[in-house]
Amino acid sequence: MGYFERALVAAIVIGAGAGFVGALVVLRRRTFFAQALTHGTYPGAVAAAALAVSVPLGAAAASVVLVAVMAGIARVRRQGAQVAAGIVLTGGFAIGAILQAVIPGLPVRAESLLVGSILTVTDADIVLAASVALIGVALVAMFGKEIAFSTFDPSGFRAAGYREWPIELLVLALIAATVVSALPAVGAILAIALIAAPAAAARMVVPTYRAILWTAPLIGAASGVIGVLASRALAVAAGPSIVLAATAFFALALGISKLRGLPLNRVAIPVETAEDARIA
Amino acid sequence: MSLLDALFGAFAVPFMARALLVMLVLAVVAGVVGVLVNLRGLEFISDGLTHAVFPGLAIGLAVGGTAGLIPGAAIAALAAALVLTWLDRAGVTSDAAIAVVLTATFSVGVIVVSRSDDYAGELEALLFGRVLTIPPDQVLPLVAVCAVALLAVGLTLKQQLFRAFDAGGSRAAGNSAFVLDLVLNGAVALVVVAAASTVGTLLVLALLIVPGAVARLATQRLWLLFPAAAVFAGLCAWFGLAVGFWGSVGWGIDLPAGSTVVVVFVLGYALVLLAAWAGGRTRTLAPRADDERPLDDARAVVAGEGR
Repeated sequence: MGYFERALVAAIVIGAGAGFVGALVVLRRRTFFAQALTHGTYPGAVAAAALAVSVPLGAAAASVVLVAVMAGIARVRRQGAQVAAGIVLTGGFAIGAILQAVIPGLPVRAESLLVGSILTVTDADIVLAASVALIGVALVAMFGKEIAFSTFDPSGFRAAGYREWPIELLVLALIAATVVSALPAVGAILAIALIAAPAAAARMVVPTYRAILWTAPLIGAASGVIGVLASRALAVAAGPSIVLAATAFFALALGISKLRGLPLNRVAIPVETAEDARIA
Repeated sequence: MSLLDALFGAFAVPFMARALLVMLVLAVVAGVVGVLVNLRGLEFISDGLTHAVFPGLAIGLAVGGTAGLIPGAAIAALAAALVLTWLDRAGVTSDAAIAVVLTATFSVGVIVVSRSDDYAGELEALLFGRVLTIPPDQVLPLVAVCAVALLAVGLTLKQQLFRAFDAGGSRAAGNSAFVLDLVLNGAVALVVVAAASTVGTLLVLALLIVPGAVARLATQRLWLLFPAAAVFAGLCAWFGLAVGFWGSVGWGIDLPAGSTVVVVFVLGYALVLLAAWAGGRTRTLAPRADDERPLDDARAVVAGEGR
């Protein structure tokens, strides 16, 4: 398998996995959280590269620490989740940049961690992404009902006697795993688009929760393939072109949903009064 | 060289003095705008703007060299402020839409940079800033951009606060929600423009979010929020630059200035958070009955969420 075919396979696997978990991210409104996580993995990845351990491992460890910090700040009065995510996000980048400057002779380059380099993915990266995607599908198949319930009616979910934190933790862990596995393809800055755009697009054109879970991975995989092909055809960086392909799907879906909203074939609303009903 | 020397002596060097001037102006303005960002919960939109400015920087750099940075960024930022304000009002699920728009624009920027000769070097300079190498003729435009942002927020401050605490009341009183949002987003965009060429697009967000968050921890009085945020931001900018200089000159550690400033911001936040925690300010208290309403109740109503 040549490097280009491998890149295509990686794009399909990572795009589909990110799209699938992205559906949960978008429906549960965890986009900013996921974004902080993508950004925050950067210092972990740099540190792992400096210590010569596996980069996904370092990124995953950093993301666990960051989630803990974010959860702590989010509970503080007058602070909240957005503040927490924002602080973790910029702090992560700053620490990553300092590490990069202080540690001489890093084997990886900053921009491949930040914007991805899908042409240099390894088989291990693909296996990691595939297993994360499969675990995600398995977990959603097992707990899909609970996840849907807690997503669409949190207070009803609590009232029905479920506890919220196991589902929340499950989803957050899935998000973190997806972010880490998507890093080789699109990097810390761009990963959020591959996660959010397919699901946001799917959400606008298909009507049900289940359909979004089916459509988002398809859009994600298609964005990956189109992006890699476009990157070769136009001689531009691969990560950004994958993201732009995903964005094009989002724009298309936005256009379709706006067109549907236009009153092109509006039927006359039947006017039925109580009088009419009695006569009929 | 001791840290004290660095704090007071380092800024005799012209390039450090320029960096300090720009960072202080930027920090104070970002602090004031950041309080409004915090009160309105616009952190995510601000993040979107910081990314959206990136292609403007990249194209500006490609067309006009370093002199093209500010015009390019300003155009991109104002366009992004318009688009984000519109998207927000079009009822697109805000978070996801912003994430998509921001990364898309970011991608455009990376693609533009990726076609240049020095891809890695330029990308890094745009992402992490070049605060120590601001050319003398750029100081004035940077300060002017900050001043416009401060003026825009200052002139509409009363209306902005009204909208933050009582969106419905503000509309009923005849204030246009669209214009107010646009002015605030525009001010954030201008701060981002000025900050992007100093601390870099990735770190701008710290200047906007951290001072506001610190002010919310430090005081409950509305009008004290603004000076508290500005003073905190100014102190951190000064201290951060000094530490960066101290590390580089005194210890031979090559600390990137922009990142050091941001780390000092985050550490300052951690300190204030600890102090507030020790002082028992972080506990959830029952709403007070007097006229000094805890801000969160009003905000929760505005945002339609109970936090």
